[in-house]
Amino acid sequence: MSALRVDGVTVRFGALVALDAVSFTVEPGTVHAVIGPNGAGKSTCLNVLSGVYRPHAGSVYLGDRELTRLRPHHIARLGIARTFQNIELSGTQTVEDNLLLGRHHLMRAGLVATALGLPSVSREERRHRARVREITDFLGLSAAIDRPAALLPYGLRKRLEVARALALEPRVLLLDEPVAGMDTAETAEMAAAILAVRAELDVTVLLVEHDMGLVTRIADRVTVLDFGRRIFDGSPEAMTSDPDVVAAYLGGAPPSDSPRAVSPSALLGGAPEGEK
Amino acid sequence: MSDRLRRVPVVAGWVAAVALLAVAPLYVDAFWLQAGLVTIAAAVGAVGLTLLVGAAGQLSFAHAFFLAVGAYGYAYLSGRSSSGTTVGLGVPPVLGAVGAVAVAGALGLAFSPVASRLRGIYLGVASLSLVFVGQHLLQNLTSVTGGFNGRPTPAFTVAGFDFTGTEPELTIAGVPFGAVERLWYLSLLALAGACLLARNLLRGRAGRAWRMIRDSEVAAAVMGVDVRRGKASAFVLSSMFAGAAGVLSALALDRVVPDYFGLLLSIEFLAMIVIGGLGSVAGAVTGAVFVTALPLVLARYSGVLPLVADAGSGGVDASVLARFCYGAAVVLVILVQPDGLAGLGRRIRSRLRRTTPPPPQSGPDACPAGVLQETP
Repeated sequence: MSALRVDGVTVRFGALVALDAVSFTVEPGTVHAVIGPNGAGKSTCLNVLSGVYRPHAGSVYLGDRELTRLRPHHIARLGIARTFQNIELSGTQTVEDNLLLGRHHLMRAGLVATALGLPSVSREERRHRARVREITDFLGLSAAIDRPAALLPYGLRKRLEVARALALEPRVLLLDEPVAGMDTAETAEMAAAILAVRAELDVTVLLVEHDMGLVTRIADRVTVLDFGRRIFDGSPEAMTSDPDVVAAYLGGAPPSDSPRAVSPSALLGGAPEGEK
Repeated sequence: MSDRLRRVPVVAGWVAAVALLAVAPLYVDAFWLQAGLVTIAAAVGAVGLTLLVGAAGQLSFAHAFFLAVGAYGYAYLSGRSSSGTTVGLGVPPVLGAVGAVAVAGALGLAFSPVASRLRGIYLGVASLSLVFVGQHLLQNLTSVTGGFNGRPTPAFTVAGFDFTGTEPELTIAGVPFGAVERLWYLSLLALAGACLLARNLLRGRAGRAWRMIRDSEVAAAVMGVDVRRGKASAFVLSSMFAGAAGVLSALALDRVVPDYFGLLLSIEFLAMIVIGGLGSVAGAVTGAVFVTALPLVLARYSGVLPLVADAGSGGVDASVLARFCYGAAVVLVILVQPDGLAGLGRRIRSRLRRTTPPPPQSGPDACPAGVLQETP
């Protein structure tokens, strides 16, 4: 397994610097979180990694392979899959067809063979449908497999996005706010699912998230962005006591003797409780 | 097993429809068969357009252009040179027809650098140019097209059997089989083939990719779909279906003339697939029947219908009235039944079965025209 390395990536939108020479490395087999206040550049970062945006400077590598100049579908074929913060499913297609779409690059059926309905095409379809079944079982979507994606409740659609990304059989999974808008129970389920993906499918996970509780519970390593700059990179435990991180979330370091001074870990969504 | 039992009425319906169409020439008079030929040709074109517009979400007004390429391509490839006016290569008709479809596909491919980079309405505007370029060429490239008066369609003969004439003489059940009867079966066969190919494409890997491109290009790309290639393939395939429809139209109309292949024809094709239900093969065929047959039916009965004047007399004639009718139908479908006649059919079927919930009519992720794929 190879590391995903972000090296001095800069992205500008006109005068706005969305990412300013950001570097970090996602070690294989870990859950790595990228956090930061609104507008810190987290989603921009995922868009660079998946090839949707091309950075103005800097590079992204998966192992020795440079990804920066590749188009998104090439990056997907190299084993990087992602989800979207605002769900981007094909609403009129069934859950099964959405997942089969995730296997597009693993399938070989060409236009002529498909149009003629050759036996090799139906054999391939059957094989991939079987694997899709396994994925829906793994993420608890089997009951909904024949329903159009648009008819699923929000939590299931979020999970379908993760399932579709897994259908690509990726080496690295990029999750853009996987628990945004979810209640506590749904969040816990998603956290369990992410850890199961890492443990059982041997997939590296890069997570962009607002939910600090989730990050401190499941992340092995955290990168904190603020106004496009990296202000912290280290363990979740170290993050909660880092003065720069606290300042970013409070808008300025509180004087230690202030009566309103609050413990940084409380502000950041609960004590880490030293799980790992 | 219950699944198979549930399919019985569907299969029975198909068998009945095929049987009816197969015996039609024995009972129906030539006017209706002639109307049927034009309709079948339109249905082949509509099936192709629904791949591009319905499944891949790419608007195109260029369909009439590719129909013209198919029709004139066949006339040029298989036609003979007539002294001083038009040239023809005189290749065997089957090869000429296949060649015409291939030429339509090649021109679609030539336009695909544009078609694969533009999206939705922007491609619609760009594709308008092809219709105007096409009209200009049809009028002025007289050695190939015959200019304003067009050129005759060459006979379609396979191994001595003439589908467009009476050679050899053939009488079945007391009915002499002339050109219309013979073409009827040839066209039906072509339509069945077109529907089967399109259905397989829509259900398979390509169809899933097209629909994902339609619903979200970014999502399609990061899922490993080459978006440009997907749009280009939809455009090329739809051009080839249009080319085949052009060949069939040429055979049905006996003569190819430039006026037929104007912008209005493109708009009629769009009306067909919207009325039938975008992205559905059965819908495209139904829409084609509605839009193509309606003016012919109205013209036939203009004598007994109120308010319909004879063509050219200054009043509302049959073709204008038909245009009003399908204009109203398009508006109705978009307002009331966004997934068209095909969606209506699905809803009735699912109500009869009471097993699967009806497809979404609207919702945050449902696309405006409710473009559900064919239910398997």
